[in-house]
Amino acid sequence: MTGPIDQITLAHFLLTGAVLFALGVVGFLTRRNLIIMFLCTEMMFQGVAVSLVGFSAFHVNVTGQTFVIFVLTIAAAEAALALGLVVLLFRRKRTLDAEAWAGMKG
Amino acid sequence: MQTPIAIYIASFIGSVGLLLMMPKRWLNLHKLGALLGAAALGGLWLFLSWKLPWGKLGVSDGSFIYYYIFSAISIIASVRVITNTRPVYAALWFVMVVLASAGLFLVLGAEFIAFAVIIIYGGAILVTYMFVLMLASQAGDPQDPRDIPVADRIAFEPVLAIAAGFLLLSVLLTLAFEPMAPNPAARAPSDEQIIETILSDRSAPVVARTLAGDDADLPAVPPLADPRKLSNTERVGLDLFQSHPLGLELAGVILLLALIGAVVIAKTKVAGEDTVNPEARSVWDRANTWQDL
Repeated sequence: MTGPIDQITLAHFLLTGAVLFALGVVGFLTRRNLIIMFLCTEMMFQGVAVSLVGFSAFHVNVTGQTFVIFVLTIAAAEAALALGLVVLLFRRKRTLDAEAWAGMKG
Repeated sequence: MQTPIAIYIASFIGSVGLLLMMPKRWLNLHKLGALLGAAALGGLWLFLSWKLPWGKLGVSDGSFIYYYIFSAISIIASVRVITNTRPVYAALWFVMVVLASAGLFLVLGAEFIAFAVIIIYGGAILVTYMFVLMLASQAGDPQDPRDIPVADRIAFEPVLAIAAGFLLLSVLLTLAFEPMAPNPAARAPSDEQIIETILSDRSAPVVARTLAGDDADLPAVPPLADPRKLSNTERVGLDLFQSHPLGLELAGVILLLALIGAVVIAKTKVAGEDTVNPEARSVWDRANTWQDL
């Protein structure tokens, strides 16, 4: 590993990570397609990963990169479970629209 | 560094641009929205690049140019993910986000993570998403915009969602531009220290050869390029197995649980499914009849 990156260099990478995260949140809130909603959570993971690797280069410590491996693990587990659930929901109502499942609303 | 008001102005303009790009019933000005978003991002970068200490960025000046390229690609692609009305295209744009952020990791010198992200995200997870999208697609002509379900065509509460996203982005950017200094206590030991203390026999002949005997027919291992330096993969592997063994075990357990859970979910019987889809039933029956013959 080389020396630490500059503070403003880090801020640039944090900017990209924050924008990816915020776009993921907006996508999760606006899209009504169940699969795309989960895709947007993966986009939030990407934003977090960019920030983690940026901090890893800033503090000259690879633990940030190790955490990205754990993030990948959770993303893979989440994709397997969530997509299984989505397929199950689709088999019941033949639609991917999240509004179709608003019946549990209080 | 004070929190400059320019950051808030830029993210507000970007939010308005995103609002215009969202698929809505009213006011669909995609081109104007894209222009506003690009202006916000470009203005923000122009404003920030005044303060960049070229020459001592921590990464080489040449590779920092790639930051702008990859960052622009990833942001444009992620906007397309959330504004595209066709789910399959949204998933394909997400592959672009993954590739571009892998490029950002390469700029930071994190090669292992970059290629792991491409293989796992771009390869495995996205293929799963595409499979489910294909499995769960409704009938209809994919080229006809009227056949796209309303849930995909119209964004849900775009104004409120984008207001929430703007607030979140403002908070995150305020924190990102706070003055920060690297924590000297967090600094990992240098390559030389690790080689001396932990990997003392790293540049020695390969262990497998001595175990198997000299006459064993083993493939030749190329010598290390620089025995005094550790590669990024070696650093990540050391950190993973030395500092986080418990996390590694937990990750394995979580993956196993997800595997079992996915099988259980997939095998769940859905009541009345066969009556819902008579066409699929008849195809299935026909296939079985052919096999019987």
